[in-house]
Amino acid sequence: MDALSMGLVAAMGALATVAGASEDIESDVGSQSNPNSQVQLAAQVGNPHRIYNKAISGEPPANALWATTAAVVAYTLITKFAMPALFAIAIGASVAALFNGVFSTSAYFGRNASQRRFNQWIYLDIVRYTTTSIMAHAWITAFCITCIAYIQTQLLTPHHPFPMPVIALIWGLTVGAIGSSVGDIHYGGEREFQWRLFGQGLNTMLSGQIVRKAEAGLRNSIDNAWFCTKLGGPLTGLGFGLTVFLDNWRTTVFDPVTQAGLAIGMGLLFVILMNLYNFYVETSIRKKYGPYPGYKGDIAA
Amino acid sequence: MNFDALTIVYILEIIVGGLLVGIGVHFVPVGGAPAAMAQATGIGTGTVQLAAGSGLTGLLAAGLMMSVTDNIWPILASGAVGAMIMMDATMMTGGWIYAYAVGAPFASAKVNYDPITGYSQPPYVAPGTVGQGIPTVCFVSGTIGAFMGGLGGAMIYYPLMMTNHNPSLSALFAIGIFLVNAVLASWNIQGTIEGFHDPKFKRWPKAFRSCLVATLILALVAVTITGGA
Repeated sequence: MDALSMGLVAAMGALATVAGASEDIESDVGSQSNPNSQVQLAAQVGNPHRIYNKAISGEPPANALWATTAAVVAYTLITKFAMPALFAIAIGASVAALFNGVFSTSAYFGRNASQRRFNQWIYLDIVRYTTTSIMAHAWITAFCITCIAYIQTQLLTPHHPFPMPVIALIWGLTVGAIGSSVGDIHYGGEREFQWRLFGQGLNTMLSGQIVRKAEAGLRNSIDNAWFCTKLGGPLTGLGFGLTVFLDNWRTTVFDPVTQAGLAIGMGLLFVILMNLYNFYVETSIRKKYGPYPGYKGDIAA
Repeated sequence: MNFDALTIVYILEIIVGGLLVGIGVHFVPVGGAPAAMAQATGIGTGTVQLAAGSGLTGLLAAGLMMSVTDNIWPILASGAVGAMIMMDATMMTGGWIYAYAVGAPFASAKVNYDPITGYSQPPYVAPGTVGQGIPTVCFVSGTIGAFMGGLGGAMIYYPLMMTNHNPSLSALFAIGIFLVNAVLASWNIQGTIEGFHDPKFKRWPKAFRSCLVATLILALVAVTITGGA
């Protein structure tokens, strides 16, 4: 282990944290992934709305596409045109953001046009000022992930054998999987249904009854991004940051050639600790919240 | 290329890797879109996406290990541990949102008592839902699933690398074989499962058979591609 490598791993962890947070907020401001099923359903059950509606695909393939596009462009610029890495990655991320803008706009128009029979309108002001926000967040995600891929392949020792675009593809898939598993719950489980009783999941009977009014005026996706930035985004960042940092920390602190056993053992220790911690969280919230008052079964709490 | 005894060993390793991925997916607690609204137990995303996210993180770890050693055991272990770290970090941070943002206790609707902790489940299932959050049994099951997925990914990558000595080609082919098996398993469980305690888990022999056939074909194709190396 040397000081530079440790610093690089720390930088990767920080970049991953930012990438995770921006990925989740991108999916919230554009309304992508699982909670978008409710946005899609809302108009069909008589609740037309002003929420952006872009489910281009699941978050992992979408983010894999942005990250890989950025990495391919950056890699080409660095290797064929000898461009400084930082500029090359910034240009790559810009190309990825443009792709994102094209997909987002066509998804919004396509989805809302198909719901005309349910009285769902296409709002051009929403397209104008939300699309740029979505693209900006996609830019941050693509930039950070391409930076991680660059560090892993060019700077960190031992250099990763996979080429930059393949690493960006894998981290893009991973950040999408984490964003879709962590941050989405804050958007779908909390923000979309704020008028129901607090402290429970969404009752199936209430599907599609999303909140359409904001603190002032009608709610749009920028309001949702404002709310999800408080917890869903940062926790997604933490999840992805932990994954990147812990996974690389153990092979940097312990030499993978001579201390492979220690590197693997340390990983196992992290896994055991996280299992125990989840058990602690489960036990503490069961005590704190208690069973649901309306429960009439014969199994004791 | 030479089709010798070693090639047959490589084909077998790829098949075992594919089967590990296929069965491992059955362990991962995914609730699909309803779980994102805290309407179902498990992680709020799709099976394939989460399995791919964790298994491919393991593949990155395995790839790094294989660049410094040819010994198969640290490569496999590294892949498995990398995948487990990703899965556990995801479930842990997702659990925080269920616990501290949605404010719902973790509960499974498939069993009356958690097989590991013995905690009662039905009193904690919110009305109108089929459970929420990630109870201990789901967390442990997810960890086992990630272990198998990461191990499987590494076990597919290792023989490919030994055949073509090209990390990028091997990685992409491993991703492809991984996704085929994950998708087959996902169809088998119809998209959602809570883990090894879920009645749907008993369907695994069907996934085993279909993954066996699919991976056999893919393995035969994979070992013939030498990548010009």
